[in-house]
Amino acid sequence: MSDTLNLTLKVWRQASPSAPGEFKTYKVYDISTHMSFLEMLDVLNEDLISKGEEPIAFDHDCREGICGSCSLMINGQAHGPDRTTTTCQLHMRRFRSGDMIVIEPWRARAFPVIRDLVVDRSAFDRIMTAGGYVSVNTGNAVDGNAVLVPKQNADKAFASATCIGCGACVAACKNASAMLFVSAKVSQFALLPQGQPERSQRVEAMVAKMDEEGFGGCTNTNECEAACPAGITVDNIARLNREYIRATLTAE
Amino acid sequence: MKRQTGGCCGLCWLWSSLSSTIGQKIVMALTGLALCGFLLVHLGGNLLLYVGEQKYNDYAHALHAQGALLLVAEIGLFAMFVIHIGLAFRTSFANAAARPIAYAMRQSKQDPGPLAQPPSGVMLATGIVVLVFLLVHLSDFKFFSVTRATGLRHQSVPADAAPFARAVGVLQDPISALVYFAGSLVLAYHVLHGFASAFQTLGLRHPKYTPLVKTLSLVFAIVVGVGFASFPFWAWTFR
Repeated sequence: MSDTLNLTLKVWRQASPSAPGEFKTYKVYDISTHMSFLEMLDVLNEDLISKGEEPIAFDHDCREGICGSCSLMINGQAHGPDRTTTTCQLHMRRFRSGDMIVIEPWRARAFPVIRDLVVDRSAFDRIMTAGGYVSVNTGNAVDGNAVLVPKQNADKAFASATCIGCGACVAACKNASAMLFVSAKVSQFALLPQGQPERSQRVEAMVAKMDEEGFGGCTNTNECEAACPAGITVDNIARLNREYIRATLTAE
Repeated sequence: MKRQTGGCCGLCWLWSSLSSTIGQKIVMALTGLALCGFLLVHLGGNLLLYVGEQKYNDYAHALHAQGALLLVAEIGLFAMFVIHIGLAFRTSFANAAARPIAYAMRQSKQDPGPLAQPPSGVMLATGIVVLVFLLVHLSDFKFFSVTRATGLRHQSVPADAAPFARAVGVLQDPISALVYFAGSLVLAYHVLHGFASAFQTLGLRHPKYTPLVKTLSLVFAIVVGVGFASFPFWAWTFR
């Protein structure tokens, strides 16, 4: 296997939220197979800058797969072809020299494009503000073992809390639904004693906000689960539905 | 969250909850499961065609002798269909609106299953086919006399034919036979996803029971598909 790749990239370029966008084709040469996908885009941007062209805007931060900043629909797949892998952790060895790679932003009404491949994901922040928190009294920290948490519940809550809020679930869903995200955030609290006081109002407020932001509904196609870089499962969606029904029937 | 209590009919809280994206899916799941129940009962009744002419006629007459009870059941069934179909279109439009700009390229990241096209992705399309099937079916049986009197179809079936003879006559109509055969298979494909999906929507997911629900969904789809598709096949080959 050769250690460098020559690739053709079809990249979505859009100057501003209101500007019409279009695909532009770029060629990159001698890309190391050890590079991450974002490093490959860095190389292209260096090239564009040296030519006096506008570099391609894309979101990135930690480049360690934990911050949820990176996105990109790569050849029609959120975060590219690998399971439980963010775009920043996707390596160029996954591609072959001569490949054509189509790169698009997340597409959803609730995630408007800001520029090129960068979308506005603040809808997720507003959903979190609506109910994705627990209220804690100020003062001394509570003793670590004062509240008993069954190990299984702690593990499940932790698994739900691994959601990094990147929006791949929305991007991959045929309905641009945010159910996997919201279900993970509702679950991580619903499973723990600390989440009980606000349990009902949380699910009702977060679902209402999710709908208000213009995300679609869930049709149980499970594409979100396959696309999630954090491995969030649709078990969470069933729990969200359960929490919603419970809140509807019992909350005062 | 501010909750609306009192002031209206007393069920505004329920209406409000069922109006959300999740709420609408819960209603679709409940009506879908109810319609699945109807399918089984309907199939059971139809299978009497194979038991014998007399048994089938007796069953049909006994059913129609129910009078008011039958009317109530029919109104309930009609409501289930209207709600399920209405919400199907409503949620489909809302879901399509949630992505105004389509992707240039799309690839699934799921492991490929045994079916090239999983039923979950085409529920609206299969649902529309089933709706057409349903309308043809209603015109054939429920509104047989109207369909016949207006000269649309079924001129060859006597107007006063007994239920068994009428069923065979209708099933031997090429249009009906084709619609029933294809419609039954599409219906099976629709409920293959619908049955299991309803449980997920209702939050009924558990490591012990979900695999069973998926197996039941497959068995149910096969029973419905083979069961209903067998009637036109039987009418054309053995009658």
